[in-house]
Amino acid sequence: MSVLDLRDVHRDFGSGASLVHALRGLSLTVEAGEFVAVMGASGSGKTTLLNVAGGLERPTRGEVLVAERLLTGDRVQLAALRRRTVGYVFQDLNLIPALSALENVMLPRELDGVRTAQARTEAYAALTEVGLGDAADRFPDQLSGGQRQRVAIARALVGERALLLADEPAGSLDSTTGEEIMKVLRARCDAGASCLMATHESRHAAYADRVVFLHDGALTEEPAR
Amino acid sequence: MSIRHGLLALLARGPRYGYQLRAEFEAATGGAWPLNIGQVYTTLGRLERDGLVEHAETDAEGRQCYAATEVGRAEASRWFTAPITRADRPRDELVVKLALALAGPGVDVRAVVQVQRAATLAAMRDLTRRKLGAADPAQALVIDAQIFQAEAEIRWLDHCERTLAAR
Repeated sequence: MSVLDLRDVHRDFGSGASLVHALRGLSLTVEAGEFVAVMGASGSGKTTLLNVAGGLERPTRGEVLVAERLLTGDRVQLAALRRRTVGYVFQDLNLIPALSALENVMLPRELDGVRTAQARTEAYAALTEVGLGDAADRFPDQLSGGQRQRVAIARALVGERALLLADEPAGSLDSTTGEEIMKVLRARCDAGASCLMATHESRHAAYADRVVFLHDGALTEEPAR
Repeated sequence: MSIRHGLLALLARGPRYGYQLRAEFEAATGGAWPLNIGQVYTTLGRLERDGLVEHAETDAEGRQCYAATEVGRAEASRWFTAPITRADRPRDELVVKLALALAGPGVDVRAVVQVQRAATLAAMRDLTRRKLGAADPAQALVIDAQIFQAEAEIRWLDHCERTLAAR
């Protein structure tokens, strides 16, 4: 079953002389349990690709299916998608400073109507999975950059999301912390989730099952061996 | 790869016999450089000729042991403290290939870059899998060395591609 299906997706910005084709007829399928890395230079369209895949941006042309459902741009559908199916780990972490690590991770589940006790249990499990069970009660400003990034990942993992979208999830982390993040994503995919990750680090892409290269808004598949 | 210094470093820790040297060398390097026992004895012969290693007593089971001489232990210690010069490395076939592809007509240099990058990434993925299954930190770090070398090659290929695109 494909968890993500992009069909001939175009995404333009601007118009007239300032028209930019960020994505040009891109097609990509991510299967259940598959970990796919997208590599490409800065400005190649990696972030736009993830935004379109997660319904955060509408394609100018083409179709996006998540868990075999066509994204229509409907706000209710998008809200449900963001709460239940897709986990986002973006460069801008958006942790809430007034909430502890645990509360930050609980938030999406509580917003989804899960009881507090259960949300707490799930959030604690997600924090433990990223190696932060001990730091659950700390606030974002009491955590290191790498720990904050891991809290954001726990928040994306919580509630068994089928699809993780990660934009440079280990971007500013040192090499060992970055690898811990990759191991968590790898383990999630081995357990059945799917992950689409943009990265410019080949060492991180090497954790994926498949690497695609984005160049001027179009994909080049890795040639078969 | 200096098998000579690798074996000498093991012998500097105490006397060992041939098969034991091979097993310890391979365990320490995570199987990245398999040795055949012939290489081990040839190398021991040269180390002995150069006065770095000598025959020691046979062990309880009658196996011939070797030990580092004082000069040998000093050489092992020098090896650990001195940096390895880059000039000691062999010519890089990939660099030669790309230079020749650029120099002559009829070769799609970008295709050469793309094919190599995909192959190196695939090799990195295999190494990463092996690292996740590594038995101990030494093995994982040996595999990391190969991963970082592959990464350097990919960065250089990216750089080649951008430089060519800007021409």
